[in-house]
Amino acid sequence: MFDKFFHDFYFGIVEKEGYKLILEGLGNTLFISLCALIIGAVLGTVVAIVKISKSKNVFMVLLKLLCSLYTTIIRGTPILVQLLLAHFAIFPAIYKNAPIVLTAIIVFGINSGAYVSEVIRSGILAVDKGQTEAGRTLGLSSFKTMRLIVLPQAIKNILPALGNEFIALIKETSIVAYIGIRDLTRAAQQITGKTYEFFAPYITVSIVYLMIVIGLTQLLGLFERRLRKSDNR
Amino acid sequence: MITVNNLNKFFGKNHVLKNINETIEKGEKVVIVGPSGSGKSTFLRCLNLLEVPTSGEIWFEGFNISSPKTDINLHRRKMGMVFQQFNLFPHLTILKNITLAPVTLGLESEQAANARAKQLLDRIGLTDKATAYPSQLSGGQKQRVAIIRALAMQPDVMLFDEPTSALDPEMVGEVLVVMKELAEAGMTMVVVTHEMGFAREVATRVMFIDEGVILEQNEPKTFFSEPKHPRLVDFLSKVL
Repeated sequence: MFDKFFHDFYFGIVEKEGYKLILEGLGNTLFISLCALIIGAVLGTVVAIVKISKSKNVFMVLLKLLCSLYTTIIRGTPILVQLLLAHFAIFPAIYKNAPIVLTAIIVFGINSGAYVSEVIRSGILAVDKGQTEAGRTLGLSSFKTMRLIVLPQAIKNILPALGNEFIALIKETSIVAYIGIRDLTRAAQQITGKTYEFFAPYITVSIVYLMIVIGLTQLLGLFERRLRKSDNR
Repeated sequence: MITVNNLNKFFGKNHVLKNINETIEKGEKVVIVGPSGSGKSTFLRCLNLLEVPTSGEIWFEGFNISSPKTDINLHRRKMGMVFQQFNLFPHLTILKNITLAPVTLGLESEQAANARAKQLLDRIGLTDKATAYPSQLSGGQKQRVAIIRALAMQPDVMLFDEPTSALDPEMVGEVLVVMKELAEAGMTMVVVTHEMGFAREVATRVMFIDEGVILEQNEPKTFFSEPKHPRLVDFLSKVL
């Protein structure tokens, strides 16, 4: 059985030059994930802070409403539908000939932001109210208190949940083949098209996905240990 | 220094502070006592707008700080506060805890702030803890650091919200010593506490709040020896 697997693997990945497809796919998967991750993290933080703000300013109230609408709609509809809608309906109307990779990055970024915002919101709310009060009584503005005192502590609490979110994001990008992007999953599909054999290509990309996720987990673990330096436990 | 005019505070339907008028002069050490739930902490927290008054005015050094037009952050720099739960920043070293606000607000260079923080640490005998994190300190040490963190802003008044209530009994003394030194150095202080010994020894005026009203106040000797209001007589008989 292993003989057959190695034979298929060699035939599909090396002889038929499947490795080129896999490398190209890996590049696209990583690029889309990384860009979406950054957009999601920034967007999520902003939305979380807006949602938590107690300001009664008309502008802020409207912004809060918009943010609620955003998380409700994004979390309430499937990512695949969002992707297809963006690619076939929204982008053609507002930005003709948009590069499909850009479409994917924006869709995944916006999608991830909705989930990240809830994770960050819970992290911020878990920081003791006394911390904010201490910052404010020292004369710091609410923004500076948030940035220098609350967020650094919140990040420590939410890092595991945020890691989960990032891992899910990387794997979710496997649907971009629907709009014609040659990512890792699409690479496997293309190899099967050449060899009419399914086991080796799909196992190969599975291992690649697994390596990415293990790498990310290690990186987050390292980061977490550094942040826990002050914990003494 | 601080003037309170017709201060009312509601939490929902609960009338916590009832039309309080009060003036605190520079150099006074006002100790506020009263049963729990009497509104004494809320009163203290209204003085620096941690609680926003439902109605009434708070004046500090000639400014109506309860007005929404006032930049409260500017005035809070001059009002230090110490909390029951210390509220040190756990992610920062002791030195950073002390220097964060003065440096961030551009009041001092980092070097100058560090030098002064070390002086302050020296004053409370914790020089060796400068690079430690709050979790490595005892309760008493944390509260002493919290006091000098507030002092690093060079405030004109210090507000203490039950500074010793969360401490092990054996650590209460070391915190009270620092507060006494501060009082002797002439700091204006408003202290909510259950430490009657401290009130008797340090206060220039003791104030009894019950059910949101200042029922009685006097200089400490008369306050403790000749209480007039039956509620205060009852209270003192229970706590002394």
